[in-house]
Amino acid sequence: MSRSQGPSALKRKRLDSQSGSLTEHESKLYDAIRSKTDMGMSLQDLRRETGLQNNLFTKAIKTLQAKQLIKEVKNFENKTRKHYMATEFEPSKEITGGAWYDNGQFDTEFIKVVKRELVKVIYDQENATLAEISQAIRMKNFLTVNLSDQELKQILDALVLDNEVLKVVSTGMGGYKAGKECYKCCKRREPNLASMASIPCGVCPRINQCTPDGIISPTTCEYFKKWLEF
Amino acid sequence: MLVTITRPGLVRLGLCKLPPFISRVSLTEASNQKKKKKKMTVTNSGIQYAVQIITKHFGNLVAKVCETLLKSGPLNLGALIRSTALTPQQVKNSLLILVQHNCVQPFTQESKAGLKVQYMAVYDNILHRLRFAKFLAVVAQELDDDCKQLLAGLLEHGRLTQQQLMDRANQKSKSNSSQVQNAAQDNFIRLVTARFVERCPAPEPLLEEAPEQEGPKKPRSKSAKMAQVSETIEQRVLAAARPMEAIRFLITTNPETDDPSQKSENNSSSMSVGEKRKFDDLDIGEHGSNDKEVILWRANFEQFIRCLRHKACVENVRARHDDGAAVVLRAVLKATRMQETKVKTDYSVPLKMGAIYNEVIDSAAGRNLTKVSVKASLHLLCGAPPVRGGYEGEGEDEDEDEDEDVPYSIDLKKIIELLQNDEVESIVLKRYGQDACRIFRLLTSQSKPAGQFFETDKISVDALVDKKETPKILYKLWKDDYVHMEKLSLTTAKQSQVMVWKVHKSIVWEHVLDEMYHAAYNLVKRYDHEREENKEVTNTPKEKRVGELEKKANRFLGVRKIMALSLVKLDDALMLFHDF
Repeated sequence: MSRSQGPSALKRKRLDSQSGSLTEHESKLYDAIRSKTDMGMSLQDLRRETGLQNNLFTKAIKTLQAKQLIKEVKNFENKTRKHYMATEFEPSKEITGGAWYDNGQFDTEFIKVVKRELVKVIYDQENATLAEISQAIRMKNFLTVNLSDQELKQILDALVLDNEVLKVVSTGMGGYKAGKECYKCCKRREPNLASMASIPCGVCPRINQCTPDGIISPTTCEYFKKWLEF
Repeated sequence: MLVTITRPGLVRLGLCKLPPFISRVSLTEASNQKKKKKKMTVTNSGIQYAVQIITKHFGNLVAKVCETLLKSGPLNLGALIRSTALTPQQVKNSLLILVQHNCVQPFTQESKAGLKVQYMAVYDNILHRLRFAKFLAVVAQELDDDCKQLLAGLLEHGRLTQQQLMDRANQKSKSNSSQVQNAAQDNFIRLVTARFVERCPAPEPLLEEAPEQEGPKKPRSKSAKMAQVSETIEQRVLAAARPMEAIRFLITTNPETDDPSQKSENNSSSMSVGEKRKFDDLDIGEHGSNDKEVILWRANFEQFIRCLRHKACVENVRARHDDGAAVVLRAVLKATRMQETKVKTDYSVPLKMGAIYNEVIDSAAGRNLTKVSVKASLHLLCGAPPVRGGYEGEGEDEDEDEDEDVPYSIDLKKIIELLQNDEVESIVLKRYGQDACRIFRLLTSQSKPAGQFFETDKISVDALVDKKETPKILYKLWKDDYVHMEKLSLTTAKQSQVMVWKVHKSIVWEHVLDEMYHAAYNLVKRYDHEREENKEVTNTPKEKRVGELEKKANRFLGVRKIMALSLVKLDDALMLFHDF
């Protein structure tokens, strides 16, 4: 969900001229908030940073809000905490939770779709850099929202953790510059491993309580019974 | 001690390095205790499993002695009799069996009362008893079936003289021709040359006082210290008992000393597994007079484990990369096997390109590989370009000829680590699900062996897991000892506690190994139970198994198959974590 940033340059100019009419406290406060760009600042942090007296501080905040120079945004990490940001910025993903949250809900389905598409793209190209993947995704045009490179990278990193995709550094031989990060699909391995995970004890939640002659024991174990049902 | 954490929020405020107002909340008692337990070299489950093996192979009395030794460390005969509450004769007999089968190593230690013989259980060798089939397969593959037969005798009896082995071969072939004798002799030499068979260790080597072990390290807790010392004792005893490299694989070719003396020895013990001889050894062994010439041989477990380790590495490379890389790795390991000084070596012995290539095209699978592809595989395995250190006098320019002189050394430890990771991750995946597995991989992907702390929110972002779910998953993992957690309290901010998590690999790996021992024990136990339950079926002749009985018989067949296979695989994993 990339937020359009096009007209902001124009806007900024107008705002800058407006900020001239602010009092000393107000501009101090405004500068502090603006300096944090799309991250904004919480009330507590603002108070600490500006060091303004309580009543002056509250008044300045109110004025700035009234002049529509700053706005209050919801921080998804802590909804009760007041968070301010200059109006010209859209809250960053650290504040909203990013593309993966839909109205505060983690969007598992959406992630699943994006993951599947990314794997497809990488599989088709064998090796691909982030830029190439991003390009291919745009060309495919399957998403209603645009994912930034940063967001794509987040998904790719998750795929690496999923063991679906491998992050490799080019040696300079395969047409990429040496040291360039590429992604490629993992080789599908035969499941000859997982020797522990394929037996009941390997995944038993009660193995710590299991003793040879105890209430939970291998001879009376229900998991074993199920496993050995043919 | 402060922990550096990178939390977006804190970085933003310039508080990345935690200032003094953040104090570390002390660990809970429980987790402290858990930690201490992990320090033991052999865990309780491991001992339980070893005792189970000995019970199955040699019965309860021997197992009792073995268990006592495993639990309390080296003991002398008197102490052993006292703690087992068995008769001296029973203990002696049990010890004889255990020594004969290389499960106990006696050694002499100097004390106030003079020299005293102590007995020490050799844990690894006990576990190797379930790997005999694997060892035999190695010999069958590397040498041939006749060698395998010869080795089988050695494994069955633990220790034998060369003559006993020859006699056994004769008996097996049911003819006493000199041809058979010669073939057996040749096979024996092949086994020793390939280091699959070695001379037995010294019966009661003198263990000298450890030089600085009991030195100034006072503050360590008592239990930890004990574990530490006993570990070193085991290594020291085994090292003291091991014959010098020069004679370890030396076959005396003098037939005169070989034949008459040993034959007479044999006649008295009448092939009874050589126990009798060993008995003498124990009784009069202290001054070891009568059997100076008798050389006992045994299977060299170290070499078998080395082969299996190499095999595991090769197969892992095949699965991860391709056949070419696997062929190259196998060639390198085969060529350098004899130069490896220990099993758990981190890197393969450096080998130059020329030698590697020769070895590769020597093998059936590598005959068609070109030099270029071999080099590419090597670069893949070593991480290009290979180290040039230590070879002075060579210019910086990359000449083809010079490449020949660059020794390649492959990081075997890394390959083993990847295999171990796979195993642990598969457990986490199956037990806790995909999200947990991703988190676990994130926490273990750090290069530091002790892991790196991650704050809960950072984990949620990096592993792309729902912010609300992340703490729940982490809690489950923590409860089962898969992750380590610390609470940091921020005394100034409102949000007063931050939790940071990490995976301390060595602790978790040991924990996994312990559960594996437990699982192996359970598998065997359950199998015994199943066999007992199906006694009626198995005792009925095949043709009489009809109706319900047939059904039961078929089920039991399936049970036996799956359990045996699972145990073989689980044992592979045990080796992966304990021996490789």
